[in-house]
Amino acid sequence: MKTKKWLGLSMTTVLAAGMLAACGSNNNGGNASPSASGSAPSSPASSAGASPSASGTDASKPLEGNLVLWTYFDGVKGLAEQFMAKNPGVKVDVQIFPGDQYQTKLMSALQTGKEAPDILDLERGYIGKFIDSKYLADLSSMGAEDLVKDYIPYVQALGRSSDDKLRAIADTSSPGGFWYLKDTAKKYLGTDDPDQISDMVSSWDKIIELGKKVAQDSGGKEHLMENAGDLFDIEAYNTQPWVQDGKLNIDPKWKDIYETQLKIRQNNVDAKLAFMSAGWGNALNDGSVVLTAMPAWAGFMIDNKDDKAKGKYGVAKTPDGYYSGGTYHAIYDKSKNKDLAYEFIKFAASEEWQKYNLDTTGNMPGTSKVFEANMTTYKNAFTGDQNVLQPFYDMVKSIPATKPDKYGEDILSTWRKVASDGVTNNKSYDDVVASFKKEVKNTFPELKVD
Amino acid sequence: MGSKINKSYYGYFFVAPFFIGFAVFGLAPILYTLYLSFMKWDGFTDPVYVGIANYTRLLHDSFFYQTIGNTMIIWVMSNVPQLIISLLLALILNEKFIRGKHFFRAVYFFPHMVTAVTLGVIFSLMFDWQTGSVNKLLMDIGLIHDPINWFNSPWWSRTIASGVIVWQYFGMNMIILIAGLQSIPNEVYEAAEIDGATKPQVARYITLPMIRQVILFVFITSVIGGLQLFDAPLMLGDGPGNSVRTMVMYLYEMAFKNYDYSYGAAVAYGIFVIVMFFTALTARITRTKE
Repeated sequence: MKTKKWLGLSMTTVLAAGMLAACGSNNNGGNASPSASGSAPSSPASSAGASPSASGTDASKPLEGNLVLWTYFDGVKGLAEQFMAKNPGVKVDVQIFPGDQYQTKLMSALQTGKEAPDILDLERGYIGKFIDSKYLADLSSMGAEDLVKDYIPYVQALGRSSDDKLRAIADTSSPGGFWYLKDTAKKYLGTDDPDQISDMVSSWDKIIELGKKVAQDSGGKEHLMENAGDLFDIEAYNTQPWVQDGKLNIDPKWKDIYETQLKIRQNNVDAKLAFMSAGWGNALNDGSVVLTAMPAWAGFMIDNKDDKAKGKYGVAKTPDGYYSGGTYHAIYDKSKNKDLAYEFIKFAASEEWQKYNLDTTGNMPGTSKVFEANMTTYKNAFTGDQNVLQPFYDMVKSIPATKPDKYGEDILSTWRKVASDGVTNNKSYDDVVASFKKEVKNTFPELKVD
Repeated sequence: MGSKINKSYYGYFFVAPFFIGFAVFGLAPILYTLYLSFMKWDGFTDPVYVGIANYTRLLHDSFFYQTIGNTMIIWVMSNVPQLIISLLLALILNEKFIRGKHFFRAVYFFPHMVTAVTLGVIFSLMFDWQTGSVNKLLMDIGLIHDPINWFNSPWWSRTIASGVIVWQYFGMNMIILIAGLQSIPNEVYEAAEIDGATKPQVARYITLPMIRQVILFVFITSVIGGLQLFDAPLMLGDGPGNSVRTMVMYLYEMAFKNYDYSYGAAVAYGIFVIVMFFTALTARITRTKE
């Protein structure tokens, strides 16, 4: 009898809990509704244009409505502001979620469809996980192939799903190069001319020889490079994909890269400073390292208080062109504002915005058009009179176009971890490969690993 | 209306808030985790039933066994010194003749108010081998000539991780032990004094036996807390050859970095079994002593 009562009561409790939970989700729905109702004004606008895309293409009709954009990157605000300035009838609500939780939050919003944004940003590091999911709208069918026809090949390829449809578009390329303080370069390399320096470091063998000389001339105090680990970034996208036909694929090129890294370390060519660490930042600013491999977007690491870094830097080409990171804008497939969201993407892909972004933030454009049109006119505050678009453009054009996949970035970071450990402790390539395979096998049991 | 209600129901209403809260935020996730552990789910596609495959994988996962070992090592390295320090400090600060003991009690408690993540970041900056203050200090006073690459050595990494925990918790445990000491009636000490007991004798035969229960409490909570170590080591990284990766860090990496939620759930149940085992073991050991 007693247990029966208890059972009854616990059932009530569970039911009550269920109700509470339901209340919770209702509340969520309630929260979402403002944006949903906010989106209502946009539908008359688009229905007024009869065919969905007509509202966008018809320049005479101003755009109207609300968009919710989720991002992890503060800089996207600038894009939204420019878009709103051009389209006063549109309000873009940019919600920024910095840090690791963004992915998890995005994933649960997409799964449940509750409070999901109209536009979502995906970072190069994990775009591969999202690109083949059912949540991203097919931009190709909305006419986006036209938007990227002049794009740098690798920039547009990174927004494509495995069926070759465009699912996301970036408004920037994120090329990297060797940044150097001109005074330091003159002292140790004998010149501060970017073309000459690019020639001096056009291969890893040349870099090792030059690095030995710098270490010798400075009595071991000055280093040519920040870190042998820079080679991971520079070579990562110049090698074959890590997974081919469900099998782990280690490009034989990694062996040469690893051995080069060992030589760099053994010959005191690098300062052993980790990318973006405090010491790394100091070296970039005080010139205790000659060449810092750094993407164009990382200019904020240069201390430019009272314009003291103005015109002090130069950018030379790395032995292979490389990029680091990238912010891709995608449309949620079940969004009610797809047409308006597409207008936003269209703006992001436009030369107008990318030129503006280049001028204001120094972020390199995604389209070749902006590179070509400003090649001799664009000057960057740090690099003074150097035509800095030139080295970046030469390099981005050379980077192979590959579609992202769900394994690539994770396996690359495993390789980075295991191989860095190997470089630090002077391990043989075979040892590194063995422990790398073990880790990959453990993390992705579904992959075939010999 | 009131007369119709069976009086015995009132109690249930009072406990209902807790049980509802527990059902929603405790029981439901626990059961959902169990459900997930029998599935294959990456968060994008629908979960697929795979039976005990995740558990089979767990049993053969050498990385998981390594994390158990790491957790044990860090637990021992952090808790043994921590309990000794807290006990010694508690005994000292409980003495009547110590001046400013209230000040010291407060100061020793300060580290506990800082979150583990912050402490992890501070320690990782302090022990950075090129720019960290510890190496600078050691080199300045001439103890070492070249900087030590702390985080390249498994044992140094573990020692630093343990050090963070010692530093964070010794004050907390000291306060609990002082509370225990203060509950010992004065008469016992007076009697001992009259009988001519020395200070060490008082500590050995009166104080320690009388705060045994408090020491046990501190010990058991440290067993449970130690097995769930996560935030401070996370900030220090996996360590060379994953030597600082604890069980819960492994769970986090599997579920929220690789998005293998189903295997993460199986790891969670694996950790549950281990924590259960050690809690039972601790309870067992303390019972036989009584």
